[in-house]
Amino acid sequence: MPKDPPETRLRDLTRGKQPRFFDVQGVDELVSITMGLAQELWAVKERLAAVEALGKAGISTAAVEAYEFSEEERAALDRERREFIDRIYFVLREGDDG
Amino acid sequence: MTDFVRHDLRIKPTRDELSRQRFVSEIRRHILGDLANGMRATYHKKVEPALVRENGREPADGVEVHRAMRSESSYRFYSAMRVNCQKLVWRSVIPTIERNLEDLNRRVAGVDANGGGQGGSVTLDPDVETPPYVANHDVHLMPGCYHTEYGDDDVAAGALYDNGGAVFSMGLFGSERDDIGSSIARFISLKFPELRPRRILDMGCSIGSNTLPWARTFPEAEVHAVDVAAPMLRYAHARAEVLGARVHYRQMDASQCDFDGEPGFDIVWSSMFLHELPPKKVRAVFREAHRLLRPGGLMLHMELPPNCHTVPYESFYFDWDSYYNQEPYYKAFRDMRPIDCCTAGGFDESNFVEFIVPSLARNGEEELRSYVSKDDVTVDENTGRLVPSIRWYCFGAWK
Repeated sequence: MPKDPPETRLRDLTRGKQPRFFDVQGVDELVSITMGLAQELWAVKERLAAVEALGKAGISTAAVEAYEFSEEERAALDRERREFIDRIYFVLREGDDG
Repeated sequence: MTDFVRHDLRIKPTRDELSRQRFVSEIRRHILGDLANGMRATYHKKVEPALVRENGREPADGVEVHRAMRSESSYRFYSAMRVNCQKLVWRSVIPTIERNLEDLNRRVAGVDANGGGQGGSVTLDPDVETPPYVANHDVHLMPGCYHTEYGDDDVAAGALYDNGGAVFSMGLFGSERDDIGSSIARFISLKFPELRPRRILDMGCSIGSNTLPWARTFPEAEVHAVDVAAPMLRYAHARAEVLGARVHYRQMDASQCDFDGEPGFDIVWSSMFLHELPPKKVRAVFREAHRLLRPGGLMLHMELPPNCHTVPYESFYFDWDSYYNQEPYYKAFRDMRPIDCCTAGGFDESNFVEFIVPSLARNGEEELRSYVSKDDVTVDENTGRLVPSIRWYCFGAWK
């Protein structure tokens, strides 16, 4: 269900000249975009983990929102998050630069 | 492990917001761990040998290392991801704050107006101008910096700093993010057991995370803390009250305090403050600290180790924030010699002190006690770096 926007919006963009690290135009932005995508995908994975834990019958949005992972489930998710990040960014560990 | 705000000013994230915050903490760990180690390996295996072959000598300083690293892929990805991660730190908590701001402002106003039972206070001064080094930058890439207000009696910037700081710290600063103050206050109390401070001042206190440990370590002392930013101070006062500490917060510029008519201080302290000031202001703060101290008092500042103590690669690594984290005065500060800062402020060279203090939260009381009798101030790869065996550097002088 769409929620009402909050009454007060905070500034959410950083001022000033943005640092650039890549010679090819667009790559700095792509790095930012991939990080955003990874973050969103992780949020989906955690919701899915809650859904799977709740089981197939009678799953409501409120139940998913309120579901508290057990210690074991949380520990498994914490381990998986590290592995998740490495699956996305493993290329940066590959070989030398030149 | 991510750490969260647990005290009574906590705000509740949605499931997705919490997931995003946990993600940011984890990817920060990845960047400062895996990617930083990869970048260091590139330097030692490839860049440094090439520099030595080309110049017939080791690199002279961090500037030379930085110039040589710029075209390396490991440097580019470490840097680009670290900048973006920092933005995500704030962006991951902003929606939670927005949704809870009205209620949070009301709770804080209640504590500020009626007192929280601890006897602390907050005194604001609308005549204190936001200095340009705060007004003109989003320090730490934090949108709005420390001073932006979104209405009367607003604390959004304080909440942003507290909640964003929890994501940023990856659980390494203690559950109240006070490990710097806790470790160093405890260290000082053990190293100088004869020191019985009656009044303590924290300069540039922000939300008071590293102020409260001094109140707890020296419960007989009157603790004061100053900052230029009103929303941080409002939040700081309420935070101290709900955490059971008595601190008197005042809106003041640390380089020109107004404690006229009041007794001097026995300890003047700051943590991760000086490097955010232009050099001229740093010198003014040291002179002011000297003026405010009673004879026999101690001035102590916690910072990253200075460039005179770090090898060129570490200088480059720590100076990174100066270029890319909107802390433009960081390098100039770290280029200063701490002893020169003190003598220029009026302190005697023979009274200069510097310490390495192991993290109390990470390494425990026993390890901290073992450092009390040491005179070794060797800066190594754990000093100032956000690693599990972190050690804090601090320096200052007795008056």
